[in-house]
Parts: sequence; structure tokens; C-alpha cells
Amino acid sequence: MLDKNKGLSKAREIYLNRLQRVKELKAAGKTIIGYPCIYVPVEMLTALDLIPYQTCGDIKEPVTEADRALPSSFCPVMRNCLDCALKNKNDFLDGMVTIHSCDPQEKTARVWESYTSYPYFHFIDMPITVRPEALEYFKSQLNDFKKTLETFTGRKLSKDKLESAIKFHNRQRALVRELYELTKPSPPCISGTEIIQVIEALTSLPVSEGNDLLTETINEVKSRTGGLEKKPARLLIWSSILDDTDIMQVFEAKANVVMSESCGVIRAYRGEVKFTANPLEGLADYYLNEITCARTFRQATIGETRKDYTRDLQSRFGYLKGIVEEWKINGAIMLLVRYCDPFAFEMPSLKDYFDSIGVPSTYIEYDYTVGALAPLRTRIEAFLETINQ
Amino acid sequence: MVVEKKRTINRLKSMYPLRAKVNETYLKSIEAIQAGKPAVWGMLNFYYGDPILKAMDIEVVYPENYGAIAAATGVAQQYLDRADAEGFPTHLCGYSLTTLGYASRMMKELNGEIPPEAPFGGMPKPLFLMSSAAICDARYKWFQALGRYMDVPVWPLEAPLPGIKEFSIEDYYDEMVKLGVKHLRDFVTFVEDMVGKKMDWDRLDKTTGLMIEVNRVWHEVNELRKARPCPMHSRDFWSAMPAALFLAGDLEDSLRLYQDMYKEVKDRVGNHVSAIPDEKYRLVFAELPPWHSLAFFDKLAERGWNFVIESVGYHPPIPLDLSRVSDPLERITKFSLQFLVGYYEDARKQNVLGGTTAYPYLKYAREWKCDGALLHPLITCRSASTHLPYVADMLIEKMNVPSLSIEGDIVDLRLFNPEDALAKAEPFEETMEHYKKMRRQEGFDW
Amino acid sequence: MYFTGVDIGSTMTKVVLIDESDNLLSAIKGPTGPEHRQLANEVMRQSLEQAGLQIDDISYIVATGYGRLNVPFADSQITELSCHARGVSSLFPNVRTAIDIGGQDAKCMKINNGKLTSFVMNDKCAAGTGRFLEVTAATLGVRLEDMGDIALKATKKIQVSSLCTIFAQQEVVTLLSRGENLENIVAGLHDALANRIAALARRLGIEPDLVLTGGVAKNTGMVKAMKESLGCELLVPEEPLLTGALGAAILAKETYMKAVVVGEDLPTKSRRLEKATFFS
Repeated sequence: MLDKNKGLSKAREIYLNRLQRVKELKAAGKTIIGYPCIYVPVEMLTALDLIPYQTCGDIKEPVTEADRALPSSFCPVMRNCLDCALKNKNDFLDGMVTIHSCDPQEKTARVWESYTSYPYFHFIDMPITVRPEALEYFKSQLNDFKKTLETFTGRKLSKDKLESAIKFHNRQRALVRELYELTKPSPPCISGTEIIQVIEALTSLPVSEGNDLLTETINEVKSRTGGLEKKPARLLIWSSILDDTDIMQVFEAKANVVMSESCGVIRAYRGEVKFTANPLEGLADYYLNEITCARTFRQATIGETRKDYTRDLQSRFGYLKGIVEEWKINGAIMLLVRYCDPFAFEMPSLKDYFDSIGVPSTYIEYDYTVGALAPLRTRIEAFLETINQ
Repeated sequence: MVVEKKRTINRLKSMYPLRAKVNETYLKSIEAIQAGKPAVWGMLNFYYGDPILKAMDIEVVYPENYGAIAAATGVAQQYLDRADAEGFPTHLCGYSLTTLGYASRMMKELNGEIPPEAPFGGMPKPLFLMSSAAICDARYKWFQALGRYMDVPVWPLEAPLPGIKEFSIEDYYDEMVKLGVKHLRDFVTFVEDMVGKKMDWDRLDKTTGLMIEVNRVWHEVNELRKARPCPMHSRDFWSAMPAALFLAGDLEDSLRLYQDMYKEVKDRVGNHVSAIPDEKYRLVFAELPPWHSLAFFDKLAERGWNFVIESVGYHPPIPLDLSRVSDPLERITKFSLQFLVGYYEDARKQNVLGGTTAYPYLKYAREWKCDGALLHPLITCRSASTHLPYVADMLIEKMNVPSLSIEGDIVDLRLFNPEDALAKAEPFEETMEHYKKMRRQEGFDW
Repeated sequence: MYFTGVDIGSTMTKVVLIDESDNLLSAIKGPTGPEHRQLANEVMRQSLEQAGLQIDDISYIVATGYGRLNVPFADSQITELSCHARGVSSLFPNVRTAIDIGGQDAKCMKINNGKLTSFVMNDKCAAGTGRFLEVTAATLGVRLEDMGDIALKATKKIQVSSLCTIFAQQEVVTLLSRGENLENIVAGLHDALANRIAALARRLGIEPDLVLTGGVAKNTGMVKAMKESLGCELLVPEEPLLTGALGAAILAKETYMKAVVVGEDLPTKSRRLEKATFFS
């Protein structure tokens, strides 16, 4: 008998109602700060005793309000997020931190700021490369973020507090990676659907509570028997965003999804923030360098004067090889959100890379609505039919 | 049906040599490239990378502009089809798909030779690719994607994009400048390696000075358009801008031509000469014009629509005094940043936060005394279209200036329907009349 | 032994019944309509009647198509992509590329030895499906079934290149008002659709033999336009609507036979043609 308030069942419960904990905390006098993108260094919020809350979209919510501020040929995820905000679903927030990770994030940030009136609003700019001066610039941006946070809270963001927060968030990342170890067996011990529920729960909880949830979940999954059904296909899903279980379930109806390289799943948890003399340096380095989103321009040698396509592919996608080997992946889905430019430009190159490491792959597009489900099903099933020979 | 070739818009005489400059420069460039001079594929970078290349005497080819040419000459479709066949999703920017298709054809099918069907001499295989983070993601990702067809190094130029409120934080601007200068210094080293010769710093200094002065004069020309009636139509702006925006051709020559233009426009102001016969309505246009259908504006001019200001993306930066800055890289950086941040102080004071290229339209409407805005959202160019709903919203809310939206695209030219657009003109005139009254009631002075 | 394939498409439902030697014993088509769960029963009944068999005689049933999850008596579901690939290969053994153009979608499939190896689909944009011709035919006041013949009578090439079916309607009206003749306009519409589908196919790479199926394959004007756009020969089956159901039936046979050979227990559904309800 599972305890209703622990582990996977708790994650499921929170997933269905992500606001429940933050509302409780708000009633208890805590300050809640929203953020729409994993590039925002949440450690800086935790360090000042602010509760970070990742604002997400809802594929079941038809977009109506966002039309007055954003055109329809625009990232459907951010349109959906903004729509929820304009429908006052995020009124419990005391502030928002936005960031220039990609165009839709930047453009929505402006609209968000002008159409809502939170007590606190901060926009962090980001460079596109990982060059030394770009890193310096990003560090200065984090420093400016620190300044406005201090003004808003009336508290100093000391080195100690920040290091303590980094420790907690690093622990969370390590726990998520530990959770993902549990998809290595055949069949995996935990499903992609369950993982999404856990991650979505984490992003609505204070970091220490999230860590407790993860520990409970890992123990529960390790000790449970009679797990998932083994399916011939072990899939890697590579996407800008995959945070909805309805979509994941379409994949898992006929395959085991053992790795989801997306926002809403592992992307925010892959690496670790290093401890540096000035903690902002470690943060800037982690967020700019370690997060594997297509928006960051990477090349084999920074400022290379000679170009080699194979080396280029290796520098951009090489980290996937280890994943494919360790998780025994035999099929990859490149799941594109319509109108996502950074990921769209990667498609043919990524396919080249998958071809070079012998992984069959297919490109599927979805538009972050429930209408996406039926066509998705046909394409996934057809792809699985081609690889399950 | 007999169609009279009417020239309703009173074009500036000084526009013609500036417009001709673009073609001349282009053809000279092709000649030089055919004679073995290195060519670089670049893109609009707002005065940041261009002065470096110019000072190094490198020929620059602009695929963005070539995309427009390919679209207008009907050649784009085959390149778009090729890009589609290569696996690039079709929602992507039409210019990028055109270039990717072109590169695929040139490299995969023709072994690096310029495709015979390519109009105006095509684009040769470049020495390197210079992209820019300014304006949109597509621009730097697309040049990266070209690496699939050409083992050619790419340098993406950084372009910081501050928040309007955040910009006023102490030291914020200095950090942006620090990034810009260091980055540009490294870019110079990169270019030196690629072309095998050292930068002539005196030449760069001179080029920078000229670039700033050319744009200052050009800015003054556009200030004169505040006059009633407006002496210069948007069509003249679009024809004359490349020399300032892309530093096309000889800069000293450009400076003379813009000074001539200034004189001509000043004269018109003095003599109350209008760009169109009967200025009934003053309009602002946003953002990229339908290059292939500019005669459409003549039809509107017949109805008394004078386009007095436009396309903030193409306008010169608000002049700033850089005379005490000795390092040319710092001058270039500050001048380039000024393109956006020149408006920030005002925008923050007016609390107009919804888009870095949106506030200028408020200033345009107020200072150039506009009765309406014509907005042109483009289906595959999100960066030139996303801010438009907000611009419309803000113009009507703060200034009682209405907007008319006519859709189009950068490469599927059929999406822009001039007949449909003209049909909307009459009812919009009534809207503009209505809001004129509203403004008067609320104490606005136009 | 007998095997059935049921293909519930968005416009038409098709049922094919074969024996173990791939002989065709019955082939039934009917419009799908909104109640396709009920319709599957009806079309199955007709198929059995035509073949002179009872439902208990069928060893294995595979359902495919958009409505494949709503066939309660089907033993398994396979996507229409794999089924078309199989069906087309049985008719044209050397097929490498298959293009199926339906009323509401278009599919391109690469095939190797009867098996689907890769695919690309368009089911979002009407301008790349049979719907494009349906809508423009209505605008022109022409019957859909006459469009092909009219196109073949064209004397001049006209470019119709709107990105969207709605805009194409406007364009058609403009062309008519400019005095363009009907045959040329209709041919232009066919060319536009053919070009869009050819672009889809080129994403996979076009390799002969190429086969065209689906309702639109019955349109001789489209076959001609497709040949021109693709720049190669096209094979068209006699019954272009049945390849999905045929492939499903053959895959039903192969699944069953494989299980028999291996000695595996194959789960099958109850052989009862009950009225389908929302909860079955």
C-alpha cells in the first residue's frame, strides 16, 4: 500500500495540481518568484529564502488571451505560458525572473512585464557563445540580478548563503541523475511518464522538499517489484520541451522511453555547479556551458579558423554518444515544437550525428496542444514499426 | 484595362545616386570576387562587424539581401524546396531556407560553382561566415547550419540585448561595452588569420569616423521629415538607406551624397514641398516593406497617404558624442549599441517595456505627427513581426493612433495581396479621421 | 485460412479479405463518416457476405488507418504507413518509394523488401492533400471527379503558389477575373499540389520504382502533374484506395503464420460483430 503523501504518488498528486505547495507557502508568508526557463539561476532565489516556481504551460488550455500580445506563428509553449499568466493563474507570484535564452523567451518577457504588475521583475541577458568575454558578461548580468534581488528583499546575498543554496541545488541535480540510473535496466524501473511527474513536482517545491521527494521516490522505485513492461524499443527523446504526461504516454504506449533530453526532464540536471571564489562565476559557467539547449552556439574550437563538419557535430552532440551506449538506446526521436528556431536548425545536423553513431532517428513536430496527440501517435508507431524489424 | 504609369510620389533627386550606389557596389563586388578577392557572407549587424571588414577591404555578400532578390526574381522556390528536402522545418525564416537550399545546390551538385540560374551573379563560396546574434536566433543558427554544406568557419557576433529597466543599473552599460570591445578585438584577430594580413588601424579609425558621420547626417535628413507636409516619402528612405546601414561602397562618397540629400530635403522644407501631391494622412510603416511591391505605396499616395517615417530596424542610431573615445573598437561598440539603447531612457520614463523595438514607434507617432500606422507582419519572419501587436496596442492606448495590419512574407510574395490591402485603405481612412478627432479632444497637437 | 485488413481512413473505410495464398476474396469500400466504430462492423459484414464466410472463419484481423483504435474486433493495430508499404509491395515488388495522397493527408514511404524503412507525413496542412482540390473545385463550381480531365485539357502553364488553401481560393477567383481559362487554372492547381507533395517526397529521397496510391491517384490530371514534379515514372494500382487494407490483410497473415511456425500463442479478439459503444 503506497502512502498517499510520499514518493511517486505524491509526485503524481503535485503534477496534477502544481500550485498546491506554493499557495500553502505563500499563505505562510513566503515570497514566491516565478521563472519560465531553466537558464534562470534559481540558486540565487533560494539563497535569499525566496521560493522559485517554474511557470509552465498547459496543453489542455486553449490559448485565447495571448493573442492580443503575441502572434499565432510563435512558440506555442511561451504563448501558452503567457496565456495562463494573462488569465490570472499566476497571481500568487510576487515576482518573475525572465532571461534571454531564446527569442520567444525574450519577447514574451517584455510582454509579461508590461501586461502584469508583479512587485518584482528582472530580465537577465545572455550571450550566445561560450567565449571568455561572453562568460564575463553573463557573470556581470548575474551580478546585476543580485543587486535587484537585494533591493527587493532588503537582504544581502552573501557568499555563504549562495554556496549553501548551490549545495542544495547540486544535490537535487545529483538525485535526478540517480533517478535516471533507474531507467538503465531492461525493462526500466521507472517510466518516462513517472519521471515527468517527479520533475514537474520538483519545479514547484522548495529545493529541500524537492530533494526529500526525490530520495523517497528513488527508494520506492528501487524496492518495487513487477515494474514496467519490457518493450523492444528503448527511446531517447531529444526536444526543446517535453513536460506533459499525455504526450509522453503516446510514446510509452509502445516503447520504453529511457532518456528524455528535454526541458521538463533531464536538461536542467545534467551537470553540477562548481564552487568558485566568487560563486557567481561558478553559476555563470554552469548555466552557460553545461545546459545543452540548442540556443547556445558551440563549436569544436572557439573561434576556429578551420572547419570540419564531423568535429563540429562531435562538439555539439558528442555527449549523446555516452547516453546512447549507457542506456542501450536503439531509437531516437527528435521532437520539435513548432516555431522553435534554435532546435529546428539543428535537425538535419543532429540526424547526421545519429546516423554516424548508428542510431535510427526520426523527426516529429508537435504544437503543444491536445490536437497534437493523434498525429503524434501515428508517427511514433510508424517509426517503431520501422525499427522493430 | 489601361494602367497608367503614374509617379505620384515626388522622389528626391538625391535618392537616385544613393540607390544606384547599391547596384554599383554589388556589381563591383562580383567583379572583384571573380578576380579572386576573398568574399565573406555576412548579415545585417548594425554597424558592428561591417566596419572591420570594410577596413580590411573584404567583399561582403549578404544572403539576407540575396534572399529578397531570389524571392523577387522567382528563383527562391527551388531553393526552398531543396531546404525542405534536406530536412529543415518549413516554418523557418524564408531567407535562411533560401540560403541553405542555395548552399546545398552549390556544394552538393555543382562542386562549389555558382549555380547558373542564380540571378545577379549569385553568391560565391565564402572564405568565412559572419553571423550576428542581433534581432533573432535564426540569424546565428542558420550560418551554423550552413556548416553542413561548406567547411567554412563561422563567427557569430555577440549582440547584447538589455532589459529596459535593467539598463539603468549602475555599470550595466559599461559591462556591455566591455563585452563588445573584447569580442571585436578577437574578431579582428580571427579576420587577420583568415585573410592573412594585419588590420590597418588607422584605416579602421577613419572608416569608423566616416561610418558615424554618414549616419549622423542621415539621421538629420530623417529629422527634417517631421515637417508638414513631409518632404520625403518612406520609399526614398528604403532606397537610400543601404549606404548607411550596410556601409555600401565608398564612405566618403556616401557622405557627400547624404549631405546633398540633406540640402535637398531642407530646401523642400523651406518651400513647403511635399513628397506627395496632397498630404491628407501621415503614416508610419512597420516593419520590413514588401520590397517586390513598392508601387503599392504610389497607389496609397494617390489617396493622400504620405509615409513619413518607418522601419525602426533600419534607422540610424540616435547620434551620440564619441569624440573623446580614442579606441576605434570602443567607438564601434558604443555606436552599435546605441542603435537600441538610444531609446531606453525615454522608454523607461514612459514605462513602455513591451519590446525593445516597440518604444521608438511611440516617439515616431508623436514627433512625426502620424495619423496612422501600417503594420506588415511576415509569416516566416517572427522577429520583424512579433512586436507589431504590441506596437498597435500601445499606439492606440497612449496616442490614439490607429493601426492597419496587412500580412505578407519575406519569400512567399504571393501572401501580400495589394488589392486586398487597398480595399482596406478606405475604411481605415475613416478610422484615422475618427482618431484625429479623439486626439484633438484630448489635447494632442496633431 | 482467411485474413482481414480493415483500413479506417478519414474519408473512406476499406476492408480486404484474403486467403493464405494472398488471393483476394472480397474488397469493400464505404464512406467513413463520424460513426466509424459502427461502420467498421457494417463494412466487415459486407465483406464476409461477399466472400461467403463467417467471422469465425477469419484467423487474424489487423486494423489500420486513422480510426484503427476503434475496431473492437481487430486483433492488432498497425499504422497505415507500414500497411501501405506492404500492400504496395505485393502489387509492385520493385517499389522503393510510395506516395499516398488522401482526402486529408499525404504520406511518403520508403520501402525495402516490402518493409517500411522511413516515412514523412503531412496531415496538418490542407494545401498538401486532396482537400486542396476539393476546396478549389468547389470555388470553381466544378465536380471534384471532373478536375483531372479538365486539367489534361490545359494549353498553358499557370503558377498557383499560395501557401494556403484559403489563399488559393482567392487566387483562383483573381485568375478567373483576369480572363484565364478554366482548364489552365485547374492544371495550375494540380501542379501546385503535385509540387508540394513532391517536396515532401524529396525529404526522403526519391528512388524508383515509385507508386502512387490514395483517392487522388484516380485523378489522371494529378498522375500527370506528379510525374512532372517528380521527374520520373509513376506506377498506379488498379484499386489505389485499397492498398492500405490489402497491406493490413497481408500483415495479418504474416503475423499469424509467424506465430504458428514459432509455436507462439497469439492473442485474438472475440469474433463477435457487436455494436461498438464508447466504452468497449
